[in-house]
Amino acid sequence: MQTSDDSSVSSLNLDDAATLLMQLEETDTADLTMLREALTDLAFENRVPHSAQPFVARAARVLGTIVNGTAPDVPAAFADVSSAIEDAMRASEGSVSRADRVVERAAETTAAAVTASVPVFELDQLDELDEPAAPIVPKRSLQHDVGVDQLPDDADRDLLPDFITESNECVVNAEVALLQLEAFPDDEEAINTVFRAFHTVKGTSAFLGLPRIAAFAHEAESLLSRVRDKEIAYTKGCADLSLRSADMLKALLVSAETALNGNGKLPLPDGYHELLDALAGYDPARDADGVMLPVTPAAPAATGAAWSAGADSDDIFPVPTGSSAAAASAAAVPAVGNGNKPRVESNADATIRVRTDRLDRMIDMVGELVIAQSIIAGDELLGTGKQHDLLRKVTHAGKIVRELQDLSMSMRMVPLRATFQKLTRVVRDTASKASKTVQFVTEGDDVEIDRNMVDVLGDPLVHMVRNAVDHGVEGPDEREANSKPRLGVVRLHAYHASGNVVVELKDDGRGLHRDKIVKKAIEKGLIESDKGMTDSDVFNLIFAPGFSTAEQITDISGRGVGMDVVRRNLEKIRGRIDITSAPGKGTTFAIHLPLTLAVTDGMLVRVGEERFVIPLTHIHMSFRPEPAMLSTVVGRGEVVLLRGELLPIIRLHRLFDVTNAVQSPLDGLLMIVGDGDRRSALLVDDLLGQQQVVAKTLGDGLGKVPGVTGGAILGDGRVGLILDVSETVALAQSHEPTPVRRDRKHAA
Amino acid sequence: MSTHTESVSASATQSRAGKYLTFFLAGEEYGLEILKVSEIIGMQPITRVPRMPEFVRGVINLRGKVIPITDLRSKFGMEQDGSEDSCIIVVQMRGIMTGVVVDRVSEVVAIAEADIEDAPTFGAGIHTEFLLGIGKTGGRVKLLLDIDKVLASSEIATLEAAQSHDV
Repeated sequence: MQTSDDSSVSSLNLDDAATLLMQLEETDTADLTMLREALTDLAFENRVPHSAQPFVARAARVLGTIVNGTAPDVPAAFADVSSAIEDAMRASEGSVSRADRVVERAAETTAAAVTASVPVFELDQLDELDEPAAPIVPKRSLQHDVGVDQLPDDADRDLLPDFITESNECVVNAEVALLQLEAFPDDEEAINTVFRAFHTVKGTSAFLGLPRIAAFAHEAESLLSRVRDKEIAYTKGCADLSLRSADMLKALLVSAETALNGNGKLPLPDGYHELLDALAGYDPARDADGVMLPVTPAAPAATGAAWSAGADSDDIFPVPTGSSAAAASAAAVPAVGNGNKPRVESNADATIRVRTDRLDRMIDMVGELVIAQSIIAGDELLGTGKQHDLLRKVTHAGKIVRELQDLSMSMRMVPLRATFQKLTRVVRDTASKASKTVQFVTEGDDVEIDRNMVDVLGDPLVHMVRNAVDHGVEGPDEREANSKPRLGVVRLHAYHASGNVVVELKDDGRGLHRDKIVKKAIEKGLIESDKGMTDSDVFNLIFAPGFSTAEQITDISGRGVGMDVVRRNLEKIRGRIDITSAPGKGTTFAIHLPLTLAVTDGMLVRVGEERFVIPLTHIHMSFRPEPAMLSTVVGRGEVVLLRGELLPIIRLHRLFDVTNAVQSPLDGLLMIVGDGDRRSALLVDDLLGQQQVVAKTLGDGLGKVPGVTGGAILGDGRVGLILDVSETVALAQSHEPTPVRRDRKHAA
Repeated sequence: MSTHTESVSASATQSRAGKYLTFFLAGEEYGLEILKVSEIIGMQPITRVPRMPEFVRGVINLRGKVIPITDLRSKFGMEQDGSEDSCIIVVQMRGIMTGVVVDRVSEVVAIAEADIEDAPTFGAGIHTEFLLGIGKTGGRVKLLLDIDKVLASSEIATLEAAQSHDV
C-alpha cells in the first residue's frame, strides 16, 4: 500500500470509478490496474470520508484479484467491486454504515486516550507540512486506558493479513532508513522513507479498527516530521526513540496477528505507554542523550575503498588511512550504516506473490524431469550409435530441460541483503550496550541463496556478529593502546567460490588465542593435550557444547551455548564453517554453503552392491592408500597417515552391514571427509562419478535413519541413500571399534 | 506355519464389512481394505536402508517419490522362505505411503459382516492385533489385516530397535 505524495494519478472520484468499471472487462488489464491504483489512492489519501474508506479499499483489493488472475469467479468479482463502490458512495452520503461504527468506535477509544488538542483522526490536517494547530507542547499528558483491546467484531479479516504483511515491510524499510539516518543525519531520502512508512501504517491501521497502532504511528510520525522540517536535530536520543518505535510497531503488528489467528484479544506490548509518552513529550532541550550525530565524513568511504583495493588474503585488515581522527570524534556514538554512500534503493522489479509450497513442488518436479530425461538419454538403445536422429531429439529436449531447471532454481533464490540489514541493527545495539565503537561493513549483499536456507542462516549470523562485537573487538581505549584505530570494524562479505556461497565474517579485534582455548578445552575434558593439533583444529574446539572462554558472561553472549548451536544450525543447511585467526589482529569465520538445498552435488560411491551419495561439500579428497600408510592402534582402531595427519578409518561396509564389500583399504578407496576434530577416512569400494541429485525424504514411515539424510533417484531409477557425513562419523566414533582381524596382510 | 490370533475386541464394534483386496503370502490368504490400497506394482529392486529393523526391506522409487517397503513375513515372524516375491501393494495410510511385498495378488471381494469373525486366541507370544478379523468366503479363510496397526507399530519398533542397535 504505497501512498503517493504527488497527485499525478487522476483525481478520480467514486462516480467516475463506478462508470469506468462498467466499461471494463477482465482483459483490460492496464485500465483495471489504473483503476485499482486510483481507488487505492482514494482510500489512503483520505479523499473520501472515513466511513467510505473500507469499502473503497475492499473494491481495490477485489479488483486486484481480477488483475492478477486469482479471482475464482470473475463475474462475481466484478459485481463485488461495483457493489463495494456503491456502498462507498452511500457511505459518503452519510448513511450509517458498518465502517462508520468501526471508525467511530476507534475514534472514541483513542480520543479517550489522547487529551492533546490534536485529535488523532483529523488526518487531513496532519497531511500538511506545517505543524497543526497545537504548538509544540513540551509535555503532553496522555490518559492511558488500561486493559487489553479487542479486535472489533466486524474487523475485516480479509484485509488484515495483507495489512500486517505490508506494514511489516514498511517498518523494516523504516528501520533501514533510520540506521542510515544515524550515519547521515542530513539524508533527506531516509527521513522521507521513515516518515512515509509511519504515515502509511497510521492511515491504514486507523480505519481497519486498530487505534493503538494508529495512535502510536501518529506519535512516531510527528517526531519524524519535526526532524524532517529541521525543527529538531536528529540526535542520539532521537535515534534511540525512533528505533524503539520501530520495535514497538513490530510488536503491535505481532499482537494484531495473534489476535487475528486467535481469540481476537489484542494484548498491549510492554512499554507501550512509556514509549508513547516519551515520543509525545520529546523535548530537545531536555534530551539527555543530546549528542549530535556527526555527519559521517568521507573517511569511511575512503576506508571502504582502502579495503576493497587491498585484496586482503593475508592480512586480516589493512589499517584504514588517516581516518581515525574524524571517526574518533564520534565518541560514544556507534557509526553504523554502510561505509558506502547511501544508495537509492530501486524497487522497480515487478513482483508477484506465489505460495512457497507450490513453488517447492514445481521445483521438485523439474528436478525429476531432469533425471527422467537423463534416464532416457542414457538408455542403451541410444548408445548403440545407430539412432542419430533420436539421440539428437533427446539431447535437444535435455537442453531445454536443463534450462528450465536453472530457471526454477533461481526462483527460490533470495538475496542476502535482508539478512545483512537485520545484522546492521544487531551491531549497533550490541556496540552500544558494550560501549564500543564499531563500524559494520557489508559486501556482496546481492549474492543469492536458497530461500529455505536464509532463515536458518539468520540466527547463527546474529550470534556470531554479537560475539564479534562483544568479545572480538576491543574497547576503544584498549585498541588505542595497541596502536589500532579506536573504531573497530566488522566486515560481512558474501561471494561465490567453486560452486558454493561463502559468507565471511571478519573482525579486526583481539583474535583467538590458541593457548587459552587449549587450556579451556583441557579443563572441560574435551582433549588431553593439543599435541598434533593444527591451529584450525584448536579453533574448531570452540564449537563444542558448553565451551566459552569469555571471562565475563554478559547478557549478550558468553554463556557458551552459542557456538555449538551455530554449527548445528549450519549443518542443517549443509554448511561448513572454517576459522582463521591471528592474535591481536582479528578473526575470520568463513561459512561455506551449497547454492541450494533442492539439489545436492554428490559423489556416487559403491560399497558392495549398494550405492551411496556423499555431498561434495564435505569431501576433501579421495585416494588409494599404500601399505605403509596404514596402521592399527592397540589392535582395534585403524588409521591412515596422510601428509602427516592421522585419520581414523571408517569401514562403511561394517557400519551399514553391507555384504560383499571390499575388505582391505588397499583394494578400495579412502575418502577424507569432515572437519576439524572429526576428519576421517571413509572406506568405499569405488567412485562411480559425480551426480546432481534431488534429495527426498525416506518416507515418513521410517522416521529418522541414522547416518542418512535422505534418498535420491539415481540415473537408473533406483534409490541411492544420501549420507549424512557428520552423523556417520559420529556413529562410527561412538561404537566400539571391533578388533582388527589378525589375518590382515598389511598389519604394521 | 501357524496362524496368528488373539481376540481383537477393540475392532469388534466397528463394521468390518466391505471390499477387500486379497493376496497370498507364504501360503496364507490375507485381505486389505480396498480403500487403503493405492496401487499394485511389479517387483522392483529395493534399496536397502541400513540399521533398520528387519521388517523394513528398504525403499523404492515410485514415480519420483521415495517410499519405504515393509516385509510382512518378517513383521509376522514368519520365516523367509526365499521364494520369489512377485509384487508390491502400495497402501496409503494416514497420508503416508508405504509398500508391502506379497507373493501373489488374488482378487477384490466383498465380505459381509456376517462372514467375519473375530480371530480366536492362541495364547501369548502370537501377535494377532494386526487382524481385523477372519473372513470366510468362497469356502476359504481370509485373514483381514488392519493395515494401520501393521505399519504403525513398525514405527515404534524402529525407534526401539534404533536405540538398542549396536554394531
